[in-house]
Amino acid sequence: MNKLTKVAGRTIMWAFLLLTAVLTLFPILMTLTGSLKTGAEMMTGGTLWPSKLQFANYAEAWKQANFARYTWNSAFVSVMVTIGTLLVAAMAAYVVDRRTFPGKSLYVMVQASMMFISVGAIVLRPQFEMMVALHLNTTLWGVILILISAHSSTFFMLLGFFKAIPRELDEAAMVDGSGFARTFFRIILPLLAPGLGVAGLFAFRHAWNEYILPLVFTMTNPQLQTLTVGLANLRYGASAAMQIHLMMAGACLSILPMLIVYMVANKSFIQVTAGSVKG
Amino acid sequence: MSMKWKRLGENVWFLSPSIVLTAALGVYPLIWMLRYMFYDYAGYGEPLFIGLDNFQRLMRDGQFWESVGQTFVYAGGKLVLTLPVSLLLAVFLNGKLRGAGLLRGIYFVPTIISTAVISVVFYTIFNAYNGMVNTVLMKLHLIGQPIDWLGPKYAMLTVILVAVWGAVGNYMLLFLAGLQGIPQDLYESASIDGASASRRLWSITLPMLAPVAQLVIMLAIIASLKGYESIMLITEGGPIGKTEVMYLYLYKLLFPVSTGSPVEQQLGYGSAVGFATAVIVGAITGLYFLLSRKMNKMY
Repeated sequence: MNKLTKVAGRTIMWAFLLLTAVLTLFPILMTLTGSLKTGAEMMTGGTLWPSKLQFANYAEAWKQANFARYTWNSAFVSVMVTIGTLLVAAMAAYVVDRRTFPGKSLYVMVQASMMFISVGAIVLRPQFEMMVALHLNTTLWGVILILISAHSSTFFMLLGFFKAIPRELDEAAMVDGSGFARTFFRIILPLLAPGLGVAGLFAFRHAWNEYILPLVFTMTNPQLQTLTVGLANLRYGASAAMQIHLMMAGACLSILPMLIVYMVANKSFIQVTAGSVKG
Repeated sequence: MSMKWKRLGENVWFLSPSIVLTAALGVYPLIWMLRYMFYDYAGYGEPLFIGLDNFQRLMRDGQFWESVGQTFVYAGGKLVLTLPVSLLLAVFLNGKLRGAGLLRGIYFVPTIISTAVISVVFYTIFNAYNGMVNTVLMKLHLIGQPIDWLGPKYAMLTVILVAVWGAVGNYMLLFLAGLQGIPQDLYESASIDGASASRRLWSITLPMLAPVAQLVIMLAIIASLKGYESIMLITEGGPIGKTEVMYLYLYKLLFPVSTGSPVEQQLGYGSAVGFATAVIVGAITGLYFLLSRKMNKMY
């Protein structure tokens, strides 16, 4: 009897695990197969596999549907945001961890509340006005600066990593005559590399996947649109029904780079999520 | 003395990028909102001070309160499905299981994909007429007729399922991290005492996981109340406002949902709505925090 319940328990467990895995992969698989069907096939529906693999869809999306431009914009924004976020957050976290100064607890409190206060899209308007005043609204730098300004979660993540680097190292460097900035950039930052790597992955993922901010900022400027915005515009476009195959090809173009980054950095991705508890 | 000034100078230069950016693009927009919620302002022309009129309008705004109700249904549905599934996955994967690494990798994939991109995909595969969900369900003979997933009856369920799809992997990982913090010898001594697997789950795993779970649930509550991106792309809040959550309602007061569609910008009233949504989310988070602390004391 006991053995029977054990077998039944294991069967239920495996059924649950496999069903979840299938449901998880289903939409991704549909994107992949959809991107290789013809537009007509997608419109009529009813078939599981493409009758003939249409790799030309990718060429069409890349050239006619402007995905080359979108990809470049996404890459540019994501790389700049990653570098900027890491630099800004690491410098701040270093000072906060190593030194005491007036207003320190206020600074930490403001950063913490930035993670929890959510007023929705209303902030986009004053942010936009700010970028108009700086003449940055016609470039991608406006989007980049706003994404960098949301660095509080990176700040707290790096704060944890700094605590693991012994203070004696800083002191020894200072005794040897190394200045504050030099000590930070030459000695501490290289030691922080694993932390920067994982925090950078998160910053990159966030920027690459961001939709509402670039959408609002590039509404009148198609040349600046990122992959997410360009793809969503296909869905809203007048000929959307006839372009589902292009949507799927575009979706694959957007998913693939992240998937590759993920496979390469699988371990650190999982470590950090586990370590930092990010919503 | 000069040493002190030098240190202060270093602090300022290391902190100023963060402070300037946070102040200009994080704090200033909040102050802007706190000001304009007392104004009648369409985004152009002279803003007109109207005191509390925007809040009176908010109180009477049936569409807003309906969207608040829809937010609770959406967030509640997402939590009720996401949390148990991700906890179960974490518990199963925490045991010594063949292929656990592969499965964990699969479950985690949705969290690296853009919500916007996968929402466009879901929008097409949930299509009643040519979508793949109906095609597969009919090929498996699970349904006889195509289901209108984006129609008034099922639209809310559909957007909830999409949200669950995107969230399970993330919370599974957080739960898994909590589970790995439980000392193994607790299980060993329980096994020696003859405790069954379900007994071990109830008496060791769940109580020991409580502190982590408390934090994870709080993050999940906030995230589920805030989400509107995927709804915007799948149903645009429709049909007939059935899936319009409060942050989507706010967005529609400010920007067109798709390029070209007209919108009458209401920045003053939008500020009041933005403030109200923050208060609602803050109140729920605070309430949960108090309740979970009380629960802690009971144990």
